[in-house]
Amino acid sequence: MEDLLARIAECVELGKINKATPFPPKMKGMDGAEELTLQALEAGLSPADILTRGLIIGMEKIGVKFKNNQVFVPQVLMSAKAMSTALKHLKKFFQDGSVQRRGQFIIGTVEGDLHDIGKNLVAMMVEGNGYEVIDLGVDVKADKFVEAVKAHPGAYVGMSALLTTTMVNMEQINAALKQQFPGIVTFVGGAPVTQEFAHKIGADYYTDGPQELVEILNRISA
Amino acid sequence: MSMTHKERVIRALNHEETDRPPFQATFTPEFADRLRREFHLPPMFSEPHHRDWYGYDLERLTGQDALQVGAGWVTNYYLKPEPYTDEWGVEWKIDPYQTPFGEGHYTNIARNPLRDDDEAAMAYKAPDPTRPELYHNAERLVKEFGEEYYIIGRVHCTIFESAWALRGLDTLMMDFYINPELANHLLDETAAYHKEACCQLVRRGVDMIWLGDDMGAQSSLLIDPELWREYFKPRMEDIIRTIKGLNPNVKVAYHTDGCNYDIIEDLIEIGLDVLNPIQTECMDPEILAKEYGDRLCFFGGIAVQSTLPQGTPEDIRREYEWLKNSIGQGGGWICAPTHHVQLDTPIENFFSLLRTIGIEDMRS
Repeated sequence: MEDLLARIAECVELGKINKATPFPPKMKGMDGAEELTLQALEAGLSPADILTRGLIIGMEKIGVKFKNNQVFVPQVLMSAKAMSTALKHLKKFFQDGSVQRRGQFIIGTVEGDLHDIGKNLVAMMVEGNGYEVIDLGVDVKADKFVEAVKAHPGAYVGMSALLTTTMVNMEQINAALKQQFPGIVTFVGGAPVTQEFAHKIGADYYTDGPQELVEILNRISA
Repeated sequence: MSMTHKERVIRALNHEETDRPPFQATFTPEFADRLRREFHLPPMFSEPHHRDWYGYDLERLTGQDALQVGAGWVTNYYLKPEPYTDEWGVEWKIDPYQTPFGEGHYTNIARNPLRDDDEAAMAYKAPDPTRPELYHNAERLVKEFGEEYYIIGRVHCTIFESAWALRGLDTLMMDFYINPELANHLLDETAAYHKEACCQLVRRGVDMIWLGDDMGAQSSLLIDPELWREYFKPRMEDIIRTIKGLNPNVKVAYHTDGCNYDIIEDLIEIGLDVLNPIQTECMDPEILAKEYGDRLCFFGGIAVQSTLPQGTPEDIRREYEWLKNSIGQGGGWICAPTHHVQLDTPIENFFSLLRTIGIEDMRS
């Protein structure tokens, strides 16, 4: 049983989606995250264990490797794909309440900005670490962030920008959120964003990568 | 020491000292408008890749030594004021943004036509790159200004970016691993188109071909260097060899944003002459000068992500001196902003950059 969970974690870490995908080459023809998750359910493992002791462990490992520049964006995408493919089979257990999420995280690239690779990476890593992610997409205005928080009380909010000309919109969005929801916790990130900028606009956290953000979330939601 | 603009660039690229480093810059359409007002020029639309003929007044009035003209997929940026589909099938939208200096517009990709369609991707054919009308401006630029100025043919989005515009960045990145045949087909199409565009420009007499594909993230390469060596290095090598085969005096520059330490040695090996844009937020010019300065020239360095929009004239001077004393030591550097000068840049910051370089302020 423990072996099955360890293998699920390994598949997620290495981006082995299912038996049919040829990546990574050394696992060609072997079961992937999808088959192993189904086998674990059949063997009577709880969905919560599959999530927290299998899938999430794999995402944590790839997250740390990414933070240390040991792997690159395409490998993280493969891991996220393995994770999300396996998660489909656990979806009904989230819906009936037998598995609890660690929290909700609303994310979007701010108004005027269409760059979403960084934002998507963060969304995948946060979801892969057991949170429900509400992805508002790109070019997201303050109103839309506010509406999303109304619909998901208690959710954390992450804002992303790649451009100096659009990151300034974070200030206004952050102010609108803080005014309507005084206890809300906000995160900002993206290439031109700095700790100093986050502090200046009153955002709670700046991180320069997804793994750091996940570590903060785990700390404050525990 | 009096020299033409062209001589200044040629000497610098030969690692020789010049009176000042050569300078080159491109502008977003709205920043170009602000500059035109500074010079009392009538308003007109222009875009930074010079797809159409806008003349080169702004470039010459700002003391630039190299003039550039674009070809290939990159010229689809800023194509129309309303949403459009380019001839490759990529759908674009218009995104306005606000700055203290007015409203600007970016054109951004709205839809990657081959994202969810493997069959269409495998059957995809790029447009015809041999149409002479695509190169009329290059011909005219060489003819009108080629004596006095150094002429750059810009063929950005050479292999990777045009392919992911078609397929989607995340999808193409996963194709490398799970669908290599499809990835190879798309990269063959984009590389072949742009190789032909390079040949067309070289035959028309440009002095430099400026290739480009953003490969760097902020603190590492975007993809595994091994993946780059498998998919991109052979294709770039082929393009560079072809260009040099047509004219060995043509220099080849390569634009790749972000942190690219992992592949610089490879780029030198396949014959690259000049690396652009040297984002100092991501790469240290002192390390670049020390490790590669004798084998590579550098182009860029003035940060549009920080210094130019947010810095003071003193910050700009300090950054310029830092660059000049590292990658600019003994020649080998074309001073330039790391990207199109953005609308959020205070106009006096731009002119203080010119003054710092030693370019006369031609506003009067």
